[in-house]
Amino acid sequence: MIDQRVFKFPGVKPAAAIAAVLTLIQAVMIILQAVYLSAAIVHLWHQQAIGTIVQPLAVFAVTFLARHLLTIMKSRTLYPFVEQTTKTLRKQFMGKLFDLGPQVVAQNGTGNVVTMGLEGIDKIQTYLMMIIGKVLDLSLTPWLVLIYIATIRWQAAVFLLAIYPLIILFMVILGLAAQAKADRQYAGYQRLSNHFVDTLRGLPTLKQLGLNERYADNVYHVSEDYRKKTMATLTIAMTSTFALDFFTTLSIAIIAVFLGFGLMDNTLQLLPALIILTLAPDYFAPIRNFANDYHATLNGKNALTAVLDILQQPVPKDRNLLPEKAPVWTAGDELCFDRVSVAYGDAETTLTDLSFKVKGFEKVGIIGASGSGKSTLINTLGGFLSPQAGTIQVRGTQVPHLDQTSWRQSFVYIPQAPYLFHASLRDNLAFYHPQAGLAAIETAAKRAGLSDWIATLPAGLDTAIGEGARGVSGGQAQRIALARAFLDDRRRVLLFDEPTAHLDIETEIELKQAMMPVFDNHLVFFATHRLHWMNEMDYILVMDHGRIVEQGTPTELAQQNGAYVRLRAEMGGGVKP
Amino acid sequence: MKSFLATFKNDHWVMPYLRRYRRLLVLVLFLGFMTFFCGAALMFNSGYLISRAATHPYNILMIYVPIVLARAFGIGRPAFRYAERLTSHNWVLRIVSDFRKRLYQSVERQAVAIRQNHQTGDVLSILAEDIDHIENLYLRTVFPLVIGWLLYLFVVLGIGYFNWAFGLLMLLLLGVIVVVMPLISVSANGRREFQARQVQRTFYTQLTDAVLGLGDWLISGRRQDFLAQQDQPIDQIADLRRADHHFQWWRNLAIELVFGAAIILIVWWAGLTFTHSQAQANWVAAFGLALFPTIEPFADMSQGVSEWPVYRESIRRVNHLDDQPVKHVEQKTIGTLTDLTVDHVAFTYPGSDRQVIADLSLTLHPGEKLALLGPSGTGKSTLLKLILGDATPQKGTVTLNGVGIDHLQEQRPQLFGVLDQQPYLFDTTVMNNVRLGNLNATDDQVRAALKAVALDDLIERLPAGLETQVHEAGSRFSGGERQRLSLARILLQDAPVIILDEPTVSLDPITERDLLDTVFRVLKDKTIIWVTHHLAGIDHVDQVRFIEDGRFDMQGTPAELYRNNPRFQALYNLDRGQK
Repeated sequence: MIDQRVFKFPGVKPAAAIAAVLTLIQAVMIILQAVYLSAAIVHLWHQQAIGTIVQPLAVFAVTFLARHLLTIMKSRTLYPFVEQTTKTLRKQFMGKLFDLGPQVVAQNGTGNVVTMGLEGIDKIQTYLMMIIGKVLDLSLTPWLVLIYIATIRWQAAVFLLAIYPLIILFMVILGLAAQAKADRQYAGYQRLSNHFVDTLRGLPTLKQLGLNERYADNVYHVSEDYRKKTMATLTIAMTSTFALDFFTTLSIAIIAVFLGFGLMDNTLQLLPALIILTLAPDYFAPIRNFANDYHATLNGKNALTAVLDILQQPVPKDRNLLPEKAPVWTAGDELCFDRVSVAYGDAETTLTDLSFKVKGFEKVGIIGASGSGKSTLINTLGGFLSPQAGTIQVRGTQVPHLDQTSWRQSFVYIPQAPYLFHASLRDNLAFYHPQAGLAAIETAAKRAGLSDWIATLPAGLDTAIGEGARGVSGGQAQRIALARAFLDDRRRVLLFDEPTAHLDIETEIELKQAMMPVFDNHLVFFATHRLHWMNEMDYILVMDHGRIVEQGTPTELAQQNGAYVRLRAEMGGGVKP
Repeated sequence: MKSFLATFKNDHWVMPYLRRYRRLLVLVLFLGFMTFFCGAALMFNSGYLISRAATHPYNILMIYVPIVLARAFGIGRPAFRYAERLTSHNWVLRIVSDFRKRLYQSVERQAVAIRQNHQTGDVLSILAEDIDHIENLYLRTVFPLVIGWLLYLFVVLGIGYFNWAFGLLMLLLLGVIVVVMPLISVSANGRREFQARQVQRTFYTQLTDAVLGLGDWLISGRRQDFLAQQDQPIDQIADLRRADHHFQWWRNLAIELVFGAAIILIVWWAGLTFTHSQAQANWVAAFGLALFPTIEPFADMSQGVSEWPVYRESIRRVNHLDDQPVKHVEQKTIGTLTDLTVDHVAFTYPGSDRQVIADLSLTLHPGEKLALLGPSGTGKSTLLKLILGDATPQKGTVTLNGVGIDHLQEQRPQLFGVLDQQPYLFDTTVMNNVRLGNLNATDDQVRAALKAVALDDLIERLPAGLETQVHEAGSRFSGGERQRLSLARILLQDAPVIILDEPTVSLDPITERDLLDTVFRVLKDKTIIWVTHHLAGIDHVDQVRFIEDGRFDMQGTPAELYRNNPRFQALYNLDRGQK
């Protein structure tokens, strides 16, 4: 009923203990409230003077007020714990994201991770707030009420006690049936509810095919289909609520009739009968509340599982094996891969038995068809992926992976679409080096060929860019990433992953001119399928199906007349004669 | 209140449906009312029953009617509730079907405008969510509110029947719960909702930023900055939630207190009214207990109403969707295509001061193939929009056989086939997707088209062949395969002019070359306008034009340009991997 994990959060026990005491007092108030209201009514039934009900009504008023004030006190007791826990969860979640890196995002999907951090944790908050209070109500209030009823008429108490497991049994049976049916239909549901957004997104294509008007009816029919399926499941789901409702309401009716008989037989007085009748709804109220919010609890539970799954993932170890040194990479340093294998996700991103050695400021081209493992290699070089087998040596230190703190500070990573933060251009440029002065930033921007563009911006370097702000073209985004490399001189390794694949040829040439100077004094890894870059490389790794099938200097490879030559021919460019 | 009325002034999304399905609506409200009526009646009846029994009637038959009624109300309440929930959900889902169709039609009419003003993915998800919001508006706000008011009316009239003055008092007292509290809720929540939206948006942007840019954060090594950045919105969200909860607690307490006062008053009033004989005194317990079951529907009203600000936004947005006027142009048809002419067109996007296209002219005859090149942002895609009639030039004309393209929009699918960067595959079978090109195509024609685009082997290897699901946005297939599926669709469509809008932009060179070879092989009889970002496959066309600053800059056949134009020559060589 209650999730054990809830009790693992710090601070839950004292809060729950105080809330439990408050719940007990509240249960007493509920009983007193019923007693005194009944007393007032019985006075009137005996046709006594109106003055006789002043005192019982006053006590009723006080206990009624106390009962509801106690609700607030309970909430105020639990809320600080819930708020603190939620805040902590959010912060831990962010911290964990940073520690686990982009791989966790790739596994879960960007949308999912954002939803988890935002709505997921909101749901956990609602869940925590609800579950503790409701479980306390459920486990204390009905029993106190029942004991009290037992002291005045044990038969009624026995009946109420006997009906309780019956209610739960029916709820469980019907709930399980609904759940089974819902599970079976869930996949279909998702498809149908996605269908609508799917259709809206496909509108341009429908328009091109001349089907846009005809498709409106399809939208309607699919939606109607969805309605019928939903109703079929809802019917069962609601039957479960119906059962609960039915038994509780009917129990009250039966109790009333029983009490009526008792009164007729003169085995019972009106006052106790009225008290029992007034208390009966309060006996059932906690279980009804609990069942009403069952779905909200379920959502919260799932969100908690998802977030805890991420929080419990182990953080990679051995991140500080590579000694600090500034700059981390110098002309005499060596990086050596020996039979390195990386397995990750589907087969397309698997690397097998990679061995190569680079030294100093070499320019290494990585070439191969789509899916040959170029990006996986770049990700391994950046430490975003860890090898399963083989050894890596950096500057003579053997490391299990390149997820090394000091290695991180040595490179700049430039992918096909560099991510631009929703911030000013200046913050974006200085992202790796936030202490950089204005002059340094301006120089870096100039070297990356951004000065002309910046001059046209309304607020210059302070213009906001990124999602939802000013659009930045693909070429300019590359230049911004390049400026980051110019700005931070400690970073002497450049990892390029298809930086120009989506650029038009003229933009690419202009960018290449800006890029070439930064190649000096840097170790460069350049994955691309644009052939002309190979002419700038000192060393080339030819990849195919996750293996290095050929490596060497461009001249060597051209002479070997092997994979490299074949690939170039297939890619539409012969080797320079 | 003013804003409430303003929202509905030009509404054609919420009110019309309340009218159209009014019978079901009345049924829902009736069932909802009966649920709570039975709940209250059960307690009323039970109170009377035991009071009457306590007078020791000589015969069980004297209390027979209340006994039967107790069971009837006891069964009635859950039964009505069950029926109400089923009916209301059915009602709402029925409306949702209408909504979806209408939203689709509105978006369809506005497709071009929406695309110009918003980022497509966003706006579509928002609109789809709006429909869910309107669904909830009915279920969580409208129904509980109206049912609550009906119940309120019933209680007040019931008491007013015995004593109009006391009925008036109840009208005022319970009015606090059913009118004043909801109003307070909506105004308090309206303000908070506005703040909450802003904070949420900040957090959402920052979180998305953090997640998408996680690699860069890692490389930067700025862990402290990364965490510190999120602290402020996290605290702000916590503050807002706390304020929201506190408000709810105290509001609920206020509702309970008013309610408690109402019960005391009723008992007091019953004591004054029903104590002249024992038979009358039996009613005291009935009135004293009857009000308790009504607290739940009354209290729910305020909570439902406080969600109104969210729904209001949605209603405004969908209503606004229809506000934009659609221009109607007389439609004509043309016979066999003889020429496509673009005559001195100029175009500037509304609200922008930069002229994207300054002065462009070109003529194409059947079977001619043209490649358009130029740096991004120089108007290649805009020119395509003008040719298709998705945008109208400020100067100049686009005509087919002398008829303006705006007059040919109905015939457009028969004239143009389009293969763009991300052709859309629907989440259905391969067969259905390809057949979208021509709904009358036979299975054999679909197979022939797939064979022509060299997908027949691949399709055969799929588990369910042509009946295989392509999954959302065609994710089962690679980029090149998706393009081939769309190409098969275009083959079935069989239009004389084919527009290729950078179809190979995300493909590797080998896939790209294979695809282009296929495209030009199967479309050899068609007129082709091909926008491309580099020179791979350029030999397939007989005319190349470069656009620079909204004008044509170089033009000629690929061979001519290679011979005579050093710039083209340099680009060509570079593209082939030579210096």
